Amino acid sequence: MPNSATPIRNAIEIRNLDFYYGSFKGLKGINLDIAEGRVTAFIGPSGCGKSTLLRTLNRMYSLYPGQRAEGEIKLHGQNILDAKQDLNLLRARVGMVFQKPTPFPMSIYDNIAFGVKLYENLSRSEMDDRVEWALSKAAIWNEVKDKLGQSGLSLSGGQQQRLCIARTVAVKPSVILLDEPTSALDPISTAKVEELVNELKNDYTVAIVTHNMQQAARVSDYTAYMYLGELIEFGKTDQIFMKPTRQETEDYITGRFG
Amino acid sequence: MEKHISSQFDADLTGVSSRVLELGGLVESQTRHAVYALAQFSAEAADQVIATERQVNTLEVEIDAELASIIARRQPTARDLRLLMAISKITGNLERVGDEAERIARMVKQILQQGSPRNLPSTELRVASDLASGLLRKSLDAFARLDVNTALEILKEDDLIDAEFNGFMRKLVTYMMEDPRTISASLDLLFVAKAIERIGDHAKNIAEFVIYVVKGADVRHTALADIESAVK
Repeated sequence: MPNSATPIRNAIEIRNLDFYYGSFKGLKGINLDIAEGRVTAFIGPSGCGKSTLLRTLNRMYSLYPGQRAEGEIKLHGQNILDAKQDLNLLRARVGMVFQKPTPFPMSIYDNIAFGVKLYENLSRSEMDDRVEWALSKAAIWNEVKDKLGQSGLSLSGGQQQRLCIARTVAVKPSVILLDEPTSALDPISTAKVEELVNELKNDYTVAIVTHNMQQAARVSDYTAYMYLGELIEFGKTDQIFMKPTRQETEDYITGRFG
Repeated sequence: MEKHISSQFDADLTGVSSRVLELGGLVESQTRHAVYALAQFSAEAADQVIATERQVNTLEVEIDAELASIIARRQPTARDLRLLMAISKITGNLERVGDEAERIARMVKQILQQGSPRNLPSTELRVASDLASGLLRKSLDAFARLDVNTALEILKEDDLIDAEFNGFMRKLVTYMMEDPRTISASLDLLFVAKAIERIGDHAKNIAEFVIYVVKGADVRHTALADIESAVK
């Protein structure tokens, strides 16, 4: 757990979180703090619940009947599991980028402007500024500035993923969730997205799920190791990768997991 | 320790560990020959120590290359990372032991060239030198078995060598005061004593790295009592 003496605040505080896929319990009693302005990585074998946990943070699961969360997830002090929570507003505050790039079948410009229009009423020039700002934040502006009218689908996979990150950033969320954001990308595109994550954390709280342990080690400040729906160990990334306290964590990160 | 999913990774780690033990065996025998050369004033044994130096250096370079390759290919973490870090440091320490043994051998040759070596209290270095080579062997055992208890014993025993060194130094001073003609040879012996004391220090360093691998605690520059509570 982050030292309570450090000035870092928590963007998200998860308390006694259980999650159910119908009768199957996918998450068991999760307690975890996600530090503001830091990158928190979730690692663990397939099916350990790391993506499930990420999806609770903006209640993406609410789209599916039979899935429910119990417990408490406080976003800046407010419980988002509350039935009165406005889900559209929540998802604007907690943006999400998926494993496969999911650009809308529209122009690069509109990919960014679409979400912004839902929440804000901007003039044409304000919108132009916002699109440029978001694309610059996602480190793709220079590559697309001369072809904003072209379809988002015309871009390469790596560019599409950065476009999706730009789309997420454009609505000015406070938290960005990345679910395996580079697993479909080549190493150079991966490096660009990782560099981007590093820059994003200056302004946003980032939570990233990754199967690539070295990626977690490279990009995150805190790492959570999950197994079979439980949070096994959570700590500073340096500590987790150099001297984990739990044998299960050690076995997983050193590749001894049988 | 459970095996890795990748058997090649296990083979890599076992391979480089056994190279370290090979290097350890080499400098241990260098040390023993140096001590023998000193006790018997044997130029032959001294030459043998000096001749081994090249082998030691080659092995050190090879181990470092293997380490770099494993780190680049495997991105080791946790205990594996600590093992490779420790091997890098232990290799450096062993190479320095080789240097100290060589220093002793060269001093023995120098004393022989100056003549009348037997007037000097060289036999009194016996205890310290036996302690030092014993400690070195023990530190290699501790590394081979990743045995924290043995490592802790080494940390305690190194103090004995330091005490022997200080006693020997005082004795040399009295020799020099009684007969200034022994000053030159006494100084040579003092360097030999210092080299022996350094070998003990290297053994102690190796023991500290064994604790680092197993417990994850960096116990360098730490009081013994604190180390003992850290590894509990």
